Parts: sequence; C-alpha cells; structure tokens
Amino acid sequence: MSGNTAANSSVNNAGISVGNQAAVKAANWLPQAIALYKKDILAETRTRVAINSVGLFAFASLFLLTLATRGLGEVQSIRILSLPLHGITLADVEKAQIPAWTGPSKLGLLWVLLCFAAFAGLAHGFVHEEEAGTGTALRLTMNPQAVYVGKLSFNLTLLSLIAVLVTPFYMGLTGMHAGAWPAFLVVMLGGCLGLGSTATIIAVLASKARGSGALFGAIGLPIIVVFLMLLLNAANTLYNAEATTMRMVQDFGGLMSFGVLLISVSAFTFKFVWEE
Amino acid sequence: MAQTGTANNTGSATAPGRLAPWKIACGAIMVYVIYGSFFVAGGAEGFRVGGDGARAIFFHVPAAILSSVLYFAGMWYAAVFLFGKKQNDMEADAKSGICMELGALFCLLATITGSIFAGIQWGVFWNWDPRETSIIVMLLLYAAYLILRGAMAGKPAARARLSAVYALIALVPAQYLIWAVPRLLEGNHPTNTLRDPAMTSLGYKLVLYPSFLAFAMLTVWLFQLRFRAYRLAASREETL
Repeated sequence: MSGNTAANSSVNNAGISVGNQAAVKAANWLPQAIALYKKDILAETRTRVAINSVGLFAFASLFLLTLATRGLGEVQSIRILSLPLHGITLADVEKAQIPAWTGPSKLGLLWVLLCFAAFAGLAHGFVHEEEAGTGTALRLTMNPQAVYVGKLSFNLTLLSLIAVLVTPFYMGLTGMHAGAWPAFLVVMLGGCLGLGSTATIIAVLASKARGSGALFGAIGLPIIVVFLMLLLNAANTLYNAEATTMRMVQDFGGLMSFGVLLISVSAFTFKFVWEE
Repeated sequence: MAQTGTANNTGSATAPGRLAPWKIACGAIMVYVIYGSFFVAGGAEGFRVGGDGARAIFFHVPAAILSSVLYFAGMWYAAVFLFGKKQNDMEADAKSGICMELGALFCLLATITGSIFAGIQWGVFWNWDPRETSIIVMLLLYAAYLILRGAMAGKPAARARLSAVYALIALVPAQYLIWAVPRLLEGNHPTNTLRDPAMTSLGYKLVLYPSFLAFAMLTVWLFQLRFRAYRLAASREETL
C-alpha cells in the first residue's frame, strides 16, 4: 500500500516543476519499484499473457525434447580427439568412450529449453508498456532505477515459477536426478538470476530498437551462450561425486557472479536506454 | 589516436595523394612480413607439411590479439559516450562503432586463418578447443552489436545510446571468456600448440614481432580512414 501512495504522490508532483519532480523521483525508488512490481503481478494475474506464453513454450519444447532424445539412454560416444592417429586398438576405443546422456547434459538441455522459453516471453514486460503507451507515464513519474528493479523482480519471479513448474516434469521424463539438493537449488537459483537479468536488459534494448521480436533473440543469445557455458561448468561439478568444496564454491560462485555482474552493469546503464 | 587522426585529416586535405611516412613504413613492414613468413622463418619443427603449416601464425596471432584489443577499445569509447563529460558525444559513438567493425573483421580473419591452421595441423577444421570456442563467442557478440547498430540506422541518437549500452553489457560475458572457458573445456583437447618451443626460434621472432607492428599500424590507418569518412558524412548532413 505504501508503494501505491508513493507512486501517487510522484504523479501529483509531476506537473509542478521539473526540479522538484526529479528530486521526488530520485528519493523513493524502492517504494516505486515495489509499486511497479505489484502492478505487473496484478496485471499478469488478470491476463496471464506472459506466464501462458512462456509456460506453453517451455512445456511444448519439453515434450519435443524428450521425444527427440528418447533413444539416447545408454548410448556411448567416443572422444575422437583422444584417440591416436594411427593404430587404434580396442583398449583405446574403450578408454575414449564417454556416456552421452549424463546428468550435466540433461541439466544443460533443461536450461537451453528455459533460455528459449524465457526469450519467447520475457520481452512482454517492456513491449507491453510501449504498446499500451504507458511507458511514457512510467518515464515521467518514476526513477529509471525503480523501473529496472521492478521489471527485473517481475521477470525473476516469472522465470522461477516456470522453472519450478517445468523441472519436476523434466526430471520425470528424462530421469535426471538432482544430485545434492542444496547444491542443485543453488545451481537453479544461479541459472534463474543469470537468465532473468540477461533477458531483462536485452528486452528493454530490443523494445527500443526497431523490429523488436527478431532482434531480441539475435542480440540476447550471444550473451546467453556464455551463461550456458558457466551453467554447464556448474552442472559438471554438481554431478561430480569427487568435486571438492573449493571447486563447488568456485563453479557455483562463477555462475552466480554472472547474474550479479550483469545486474550491476544493467543498473548503471538502464537509464540510458529507458529515457528518450 | 584521435589527435593523430585529426592532424592527418587536415594534412591530407591540403596535399592529396601524399602518404605520411609511417604509412609507407607500414606497407614496407607488411611486405617484409609476407616475404619473411616464407623465407626468413624456417619450417617449424613438429609441425605438419614440413613445418609450413605453422606459417599461418604470422597473420593469425596478430589478428586474434587485435580483435580482443579492438573489442575493449570499442567498449572504452562506449563508456566515454555514456559517462563522459561531453553530452551526446557522437564522435565517441562513431569511434566505438568503428572499433567494433574493425574488431569483427580481424575476428573473422583470425577465425578463418585459425581454422585453416587447425585443419592442416590437427586434421580437423573445427574441434571446440578453448580458444576456438572463445573466438566463436566473440564473433557472435560482434555480430549482435553490428546487427543492433544496423537495425537502428535511421535514428543516430538512439543508436548511439543503445549500442553503447550493449557494448558495456557484452563486457560481462567477454570477461568470462578469459578464465571460465579454458577451464570448462579442459578435458576435450590436448594442450595447445601455441606455446611450442619452435615459436621461440630467432627466425620466428624476426617475423612475428614486425607483424604485430604492421598489423597495429594498419589498424590505426583503417581507423583513421573510417573516422574521416564518418566526419565527412556528418559535415555533409550538417550542410544539407
């Protein structure tokens, strides 16, 4: 409630003087962010556009994926590069064999799926504001920082919800196990943080550029590639029974740091994209 | 870089057709590097095709290094545009865009020469070793930046802001390429051959170091040309 009154007071101040308005905008960004977050959640519970599109995309690709990987069970692949160039023996081949469908690869594919699902729907937050013409109202009344924090929180909530809904189904269909539960949760949380922060800043960039739909994927995925590498790194450690605590801290920390760094850079640069 | 660019700009405007001495030197060194890569440096030991496969490094390594240097230069100018004292500093934006264009060019050249080298030396044109993975991601980031710039062609002010922000955002994934990627892929590939003792032989040093110099000079030259072209286009728009 306090968030709503703060937003209202800044609306009232908007017409008086620019300097006064700027002071109000800067002063209470946290209540403003909370108000925007509440507004988005309320709008989402009414229309359910974002959750439906992201969720449907995630579930549809989940079934496509399990269909495509059905035969992968115990298939072995050969690490070709570790074979000597001449005189390959059976022992060499056996040594070079690695299981194709491992825990890390399953978790990696789950996150590929979630990435594409996120990129199918998370642009909605900003595109909707621009389409409805409410973006200008937000720019006039709110501190850009508040807009960023509000939208980021909304996207993170949405993404976590989708992850919570999809992961149990994925585990059931592919037989992925969680490893150590606390570590698994840390990896999933780090994944949501990294993906949500990337999708948020790319969404605002794309909503400001022309042809936002195609551009959103094109400029977002190169950043997501590096995020997925970090996630795979963490997944390898998660399913490695011999991983030391030091290694777990390093690799999970590396994954977490991606989201944290991206949020920091975005917080500094968001206002340049948002304001016109 | 900017100062020499301006000085040169006026210089060549008054005396067309005259090249600055350092540009002639750049051409001479480049000619020497091409000659030297075949005749000064011998065939590298332990390399295939009688060591001739290794000759690609005289062009591959400088291009690869330049592609990352230009990446950071582009980000620097993006930061100058956003946070610098001068408001709406379109020249900084142009410099950022030029750095990114040239970086993408050298990145592509490094990828192609590297792939040819890998095909000759290791028998596979592409095998996802750490450096190959990093450069592919770099190429993707460059392409994304240039796509974003291209999509905003009609709106220079918005294009400057958005592409500068994207360049800074891309700094986050770029810094992981330095430490995370080699580690992630450590199990997939034998240790890299770039630190081969053959590299340290005198013949190789005599060609590789001038090659670095020539490539750096060439980059400055290209940068100046592109920047001068930008200034001409900008002044033409002002008069129209």
